[in-house]
Amino acid sequence: MNQTFPWLILFLPLIAAVGITLLTQRSKSLSAVLSIGAIAASFLLSLVLFMSLKGNIGLNETLAKSWLSVGNLQVDFGFKLDSLSLLMLLIVTGVGTAIHVYSWGYMHDDPSVSRYFASLSLFTFSMLGIVLSNNLVMMFIFWELVGLSSYLLIGFWYQKNSAADAAKKAFLTNRIGDFGFLMGIILIWALVGTVDFTRLQDAFRANPALLGTSATAAGLLIFCGAMGKSAQFPLHVWLPDAMEGPTPVSALIHAATMVAAGVYMLCRVFFLFSPTALEVIAWIGGLTSLMAALIAVQQQDIKRILAYSTLSQLGYMVMAVGLQGPAASMYHLTTHAFFKALLFLGAGSVIHAMHHEQNIWQMGNLKKKMPATYWTFLIGTLALCGVPPFSGFFSKDAILAVAWEHNSWLFCIALFVAFLTTFYMFRLFFVAFHGVGKSKSVDHAHESPSIMTTPLWLLAIPSVISGWLGVEHFVGKNFGMTGDHHLNFIEEIFYPFSHAPFAAMTGIMATIVGFSLAYALYSKAVVDPLPEKLHGLSRAMRNRFYWDEIFNGLIRITHEAAATLANGIDRWIIGGFFVKGLHGTTEFAGRALRLVQTGNIQTYALLLVAGLAVVLFLILH
Amino acid sequence: MSPLTYILGFPFLAALVILLIPKNYRFLIRSVALVGSFLSLVVAVSVFANFGSAPAIDGFKFQQMVPWIERAGISYHVGVDGINIGIILMAAVVAFAATAMAREIKSNEKEFYLLLMVMEGGILGAFVSLDLFLFYFFHELALVPTFIMIGIWGRGPDKNYATFNITIYLSLGALISLIGLIALYVQSGANSFDLIVLTRHIQQNPLTLASQQVIFPLLLFGFGILVSLWPFHTWAPLGYGAAPTSTAMLHAGVLKKFGLYGLIRVAMPLLPEGASTWLNVIAILALGNIVFCGWVAMRQRDLNLLIGNSSVAHMGFIFLGIASLTTVGVTGAVVVMIAHGFLAALAFGLNGYLYNQTKTLNIDELGGLLKKMPFIGTAMIMAMMAGCGLPGFANFAGEALVLFGSWKAFPVVTGIAIWGALVIGAVYMLRAVRNVLHGPDDPHWNEVKDAGLWPKIPFVLLIVALLTFGFVPRLLTEKIEPAVVELLKMANKNKPANPTVAVHGQISSENFQ
Repeated sequence: MNQTFPWLILFLPLIAAVGITLLTQRSKSLSAVLSIGAIAASFLLSLVLFMSLKGNIGLNETLAKSWLSVGNLQVDFGFKLDSLSLLMLLIVTGVGTAIHVYSWGYMHDDPSVSRYFASLSLFTFSMLGIVLSNNLVMMFIFWELVGLSSYLLIGFWYQKNSAADAAKKAFLTNRIGDFGFLMGIILIWALVGTVDFTRLQDAFRANPALLGTSATAAGLLIFCGAMGKSAQFPLHVWLPDAMEGPTPVSALIHAATMVAAGVYMLCRVFFLFSPTALEVIAWIGGLTSLMAALIAVQQQDIKRILAYSTLSQLGYMVMAVGLQGPAASMYHLTTHAFFKALLFLGAGSVIHAMHHEQNIWQMGNLKKKMPATYWTFLIGTLALCGVPPFSGFFSKDAILAVAWEHNSWLFCIALFVAFLTTFYMFRLFFVAFHGVGKSKSVDHAHESPSIMTTPLWLLAIPSVISGWLGVEHFVGKNFGMTGDHHLNFIEEIFYPFSHAPFAAMTGIMATIVGFSLAYALYSKAVVDPLPEKLHGLSRAMRNRFYWDEIFNGLIRITHEAAATLANGIDRWIIGGFFVKGLHGTTEFAGRALRLVQTGNIQTYALLLVAGLAVVLFLILH
Repeated sequence: MSPLTYILGFPFLAALVILLIPKNYRFLIRSVALVGSFLSLVVAVSVFANFGSAPAIDGFKFQQMVPWIERAGISYHVGVDGINIGIILMAAVVAFAATAMAREIKSNEKEFYLLLMVMEGGILGAFVSLDLFLFYFFHELALVPTFIMIGIWGRGPDKNYATFNITIYLSLGALISLIGLIALYVQSGANSFDLIVLTRHIQQNPLTLASQQVIFPLLLFGFGILVSLWPFHTWAPLGYGAAPTSTAMLHAGVLKKFGLYGLIRVAMPLLPEGASTWLNVIAILALGNIVFCGWVAMRQRDLNLLIGNSSVAHMGFIFLGIASLTTVGVTGAVVVMIAHGFLAALAFGLNGYLYNQTKTLNIDELGGLLKKMPFIGTAMIMAMMAGCGLPGFANFAGEALVLFGSWKAFPVVTGIAIWGALVIGAVYMLRAVRNVLHGPDDPHWNEVKDAGLWPKIPFVLLIVALLTFGFVPRLLTEKIEPAVVELLKMANKNKPANPTVAVHGQISSENFQ
């Protein structure tokens, strides 16, 4: 069973994708059935696999077939089943199934639904490939395929200029990260001789100084990939634009799973990073987290707020890895997947009801109109803001604890971000769901059908309870964390207070302050009061700190300029001066020589005599 | 009778038959051409499939030898080993696809198909030849028809200039390489053009360093011009932009690989000392291809010029892999040769189809075409993705091998090449998709139609080839690697066994694995 299940889990979605593309494009419902069926099956199989393997401490199974074997480059197609991958399998397939079902309701009226489900299944296949892969090259391959799926899904409504642009931007930004990633992989292979995770880890255990002086460089290059995929500064610019895709896509890919792939990868190769590399990673994570939270404070589009929130939480996760807390990072990845997907699907429900209005200042009073959406959104918000006993409290506390232990500056930043998170989330909540209806669309709003609200309730459950399940300890087995496991249920709930009381208390305080401020400013607001109070800062936040404009300018003066220069040289110098010049010279020489052929006998006689004279001169001299 | 003779024979036979058919029997002419190239393809596939189990003599399989001019040591000698079997399969597939795409030709069909068949027979003959004279001869046979094809059936305002440019430039390159080949023949003293005889002779009596240092650059730059090595590349985008679709497919896909094959087969193993002084130059020039031509491609507004420059850029990877002189690098180079052949044929084929519908390939004028042509549009997206090295297509496998293999020898060049492969390639490919396929409906293109059943066939064939070798690159590498190892033994014979890779604390030599 353990041998065949991973193959089925991985390939069922691919079969669905190919099947839909070739066979069922005309039939919306058949396509949906294929796609939902595949991922649901994968979820069930993952569950069974998890149950049968989880008790196994020191679990480390691999099944591998050789994919490419040339010289001393050996790339397998293989699976690595340990607590890290088993946990991630459940998240991807579980959240994925809920979102697939939701999509059927949300996308029902779209003419290209079959293409949507085919792309979604392709994405599932690619993401599961990243989770299961047992070596760097295989992970890179699926990494790129996930990028392709993201491109296809962001650009799903490709006839819209903004969507087509966003898809291209996402792919290209990710490719910049992949550039560093691939270089890192090649560097590691050249120094160690293998790309297999298990063999790499063993090599490192035997000789921690294996990479020598290149250790930090290799680590940071690998981190480039995570920067791209998990949208860390400066490669964060693609994620907000990715909201052009359908909302279920934003929930699945750009909140719960794909963007988490970067964090997952960092945890997978955690043993590679030198202390310097980890420090850099921590700071980039922390600063991304801060910047994104600040931007979220002044956004008006409900999806953009959630997008920047995702950016900020991803920053948290990356920072945790850098602070040597990969288990805490994976913990937050898990809880975040549930409540963020929930929030996005809730936002989708709102958008659906408001006939595609996304500006929160056009909403209001939705509590009465959409109770199911309201309550589940509240649960998601409380979880995100780290209110106990919701799941987010536990995972955020794990990260705060790690920060407090290792780096007080980052702890302060993380605390401030916790405050900001609560602030902007409740700003969103109050403006959209409370107060008075701020536009006509609110009058027509009504609750979404149950095919959309059921997944909301399903995701609300783990958003509440996943903090009580010992996730951190389960995944911590991978990182050599011992002790503290087999806690009972009550101990699990109070773990943050017993383990790191200062972090827990300050975290709760930050949340309370954020909530109060949001309540004061936004519970009855009809327009945003902040721009008046903060002037330029507010404008900068709303304009995303102008990073898009800065990067566009930079690209124009460097890369585009280089291309123009190259093109100019190609046309005028190589093609013009040299080739046409050669052509011209030959032609000129021909014309010059032609002048000798005058057709005039006197000329020929003259030349004959002159030539004779030269020859005589040369012979007699 | 070796099956290889059938592979090159069927197109020539078809040409002969077409010669006899009166010119207005167009359907019959086209059918004969299609049958000829299809039979060639069938034999090529079966040789590829049976490659593993066939016996090898002197390292080559399916040999056939018929002496011709004994005095000069010229004979008809054909054979395959791991290196050219994949290329021959690719050439046969592309040839069939190109013949299928010739349906766009609506005037003087008889002459066109005749020339096409001669071109196909020629280039297939060049790749199966084990006699250097016939190797060159077949290539020239394939090259001359391009002059006529571009000149008469070509398109665009630069057609005449492009025709002369490509022909004279390539003839110059061929001339330089011919001088090199003859010099090799003379200096070796083997009195034979036969590759196997020459190799054995040179292994016992290697050429002097002085003569190697003259002959190798002749071959490098002669073959280099034929492969659009930077900076001798400007003929390529120009020529492909003006050429009729079938010619562009066959030329960019297959003919261009001739020079690279010549380098791998002849120049590197037989002139190792001469080669070693030029390796760094080759690597830098390869970077010129990858980065410089990639940048040029970024600025192109015409789809054919864009694909043409991209094609030149991909050649850079092959040069880099060859210059690395490692098993991984050279195997990767051959895989890229094969993968790029399929890709170039697909890309130019699609452009040709598009041109027939829209009469323009200007990116700024086209737009919103994916909705109108779902099949062609999707095929185009696949071609673009393959072109920027997306895994799943054969190009990724080849490029990855090249990059892994060249890192040790040229870390800086390889690093920049990764940027060229992943970022520059993606920029222009995705921009093309964005501007041609995505975006709102353009009423200008309302009449545009998607491909019917028959026109789909060549595209499906090429896509299947790319995907098959992309998912299972082992099918190629298991054949290529042993041959490359043998070749590198000759090419590397002067290099000391470099301690290159530390594996679990043990030093092992990378070159001899």
